[in-house]
Amino acid sequence: MTDANIELGDIHWLMDILQNIDVGLVVLDRDYNIQLWNGFMESHSGLSPQKTRGENLFELFSEIPRDWFMKKAEPVFQLKTRTFTIWEQRPYLFRFKNYRPITGRASVMYQNTSIIPLESIDRSVNHICVIIYDVTDTAVSQADAESARESLSERNRTDLLTGLNNRNFWLSEMEREFNRCQRSVLPSSLVLFDIDGFRRINLNHGHQTGDQLLRSIAASLQQMLRQTDIICRYSGEMFAALLVDTDEEEAAVFAERIRVMVSNLQDSHLPTDSPVSVSLGIARFQNDFPLAQDWLQAADKALYHAKQSGGNQYSIYQPEHTPGQD
Amino acid sequence: MTASAQAVSVSLNEEQRDCYQELTNVAMGQAADRLARLLDVYVVLPIPKVNLIEASDLRMAIQDAETDKAMSAVCQGFIGSGIAGEALLLFNDTSFNDLASLMNYSGELDRYGELELLMDVSSLLIGACIQGIGEQLEIHFNQGHPVVLGQHCKPGDLLKAGNHQWTQTLAIEIHYTIEHVNIDCDLLLLFTEDSVVRLNNKINYLLD
Repeated sequence: MTDANIELGDIHWLMDILQNIDVGLVVLDRDYNIQLWNGFMESHSGLSPQKTRGENLFELFSEIPRDWFMKKAEPVFQLKTRTFTIWEQRPYLFRFKNYRPITGRASVMYQNTSIIPLESIDRSVNHICVIIYDVTDTAVSQADAESARESLSERNRTDLLTGLNNRNFWLSEMEREFNRCQRSVLPSSLVLFDIDGFRRINLNHGHQTGDQLLRSIAASLQQMLRQTDIICRYSGEMFAALLVDTDEEEAAVFAERIRVMVSNLQDSHLPTDSPVSVSLGIARFQNDFPLAQDWLQAADKALYHAKQSGGNQYSIYQPEHTPGQD
Repeated sequence: MTASAQAVSVSLNEEQRDCYQELTNVAMGQAADRLARLLDVYVVLPIPKVNLIEASDLRMAIQDAETDKAMSAVCQGFIGSGIAGEALLLFNDTSFNDLASLMNYSGELDRYGELELLMDVSSLLIGACIQGIGEQLEIHFNQGHPVVLGQHCKPGDLLKAGNHQWTQTLAIEIHYTIEHVNIDCDLLLLFTEDSVVRLNNKINYLLD
């Protein structure tokens, strides 16, 4: 369509479209002064075309970073090429309210923008048009999908009763550490521990009390972990800890802290008449473990040894430990 | 019946292939000239590769672009006069520091910084190339918004195995390098099957 083809009457309804189209249109000159401001922009900004015409974009809208926007807009002037911004870069160019202020969940309107060159009759580009698209729904649903994915993977690795890691997650981490240890000179240790006489507690005070005890121990455990320690509820009343870069002496210090923590456990939901205690088995990684499973079994043997020795204590794995001895 | 549902058989003879290569060369020349003016760099102009590839080969083409190194990718759809396609820009992850200095980007190179760079560079490279091709064929291409396919992904993860509605695509592959800097990216222009027929018609018109 060339200018000669447009009658005055046509311009009238073309302007009508420009005013009513539900997309923001802003025309800027070489100095970023506003030359056109359509109905969408007027409605969402509350500023009339008369008020914005000739005004500098950056002075009128302080939320638009000048340097950032010019990086996108200068190529349009200089190279006559289109450029784009997406909401992932900056949620919005103009700070507008969500189009659905009542049921919408975002407070602002997320925007994609296109910046296109406008050629003059002599083919030079002295004006650019910024087109603003409302993409709030896309942005919100993408955020929803992401948080759903996150909570799903969180759920897959969490023990629901205690909020600790679950056994599957821990085992895969342990396996990874086992493989790393084979290439590393730094020691790592496993600590397996369970609650002495847990069955009796369940029997005498009910399962709810037992569950509460597990939760209470888990909460205290979480307070004493280092960043790199990985702990899980292994099964029933058994917990497992993977201590990276930790030899058996350091692991023993950790084990003793757990033993003391449990015997001093203060929880109003727990019975006061019978003291709670744990037994712990410690095994440091050794190069002659053929499989990750053997490392775990070593810790299990040490735990068995601690139980056999009367409970409420820790024991460090010695290769001569075999169940039934001592 | 939609065009994609029809069994469109597309072919490419040597003459047409040369013509596409020439078209792309000219477009690239314009793009390089623009980059030179804007960024003051010399872009090494490679010879574009033009091929008809099967849907299943697209993954391989991408993997081929960079063995198994982590990559980031941006795609952008374009359409005009019934000719539709997508531009796919693949970045080798090691390029980001050099990209930042090239684009005079001074911010931190975290995930967002890299996203800014990806968007800026892809706007320039894709826009210039599409526009150059469009001008020669007298097609005005509309461009959709760029979509980041992934940041720091394995090449195989960038394209999800979906039910592709096409079996063959015309692929124009351009490997960009810039003198004296470690910048390494591939631009793939992919046209849909039914577009190839229309494109071939346009090309034949040029060849006559």
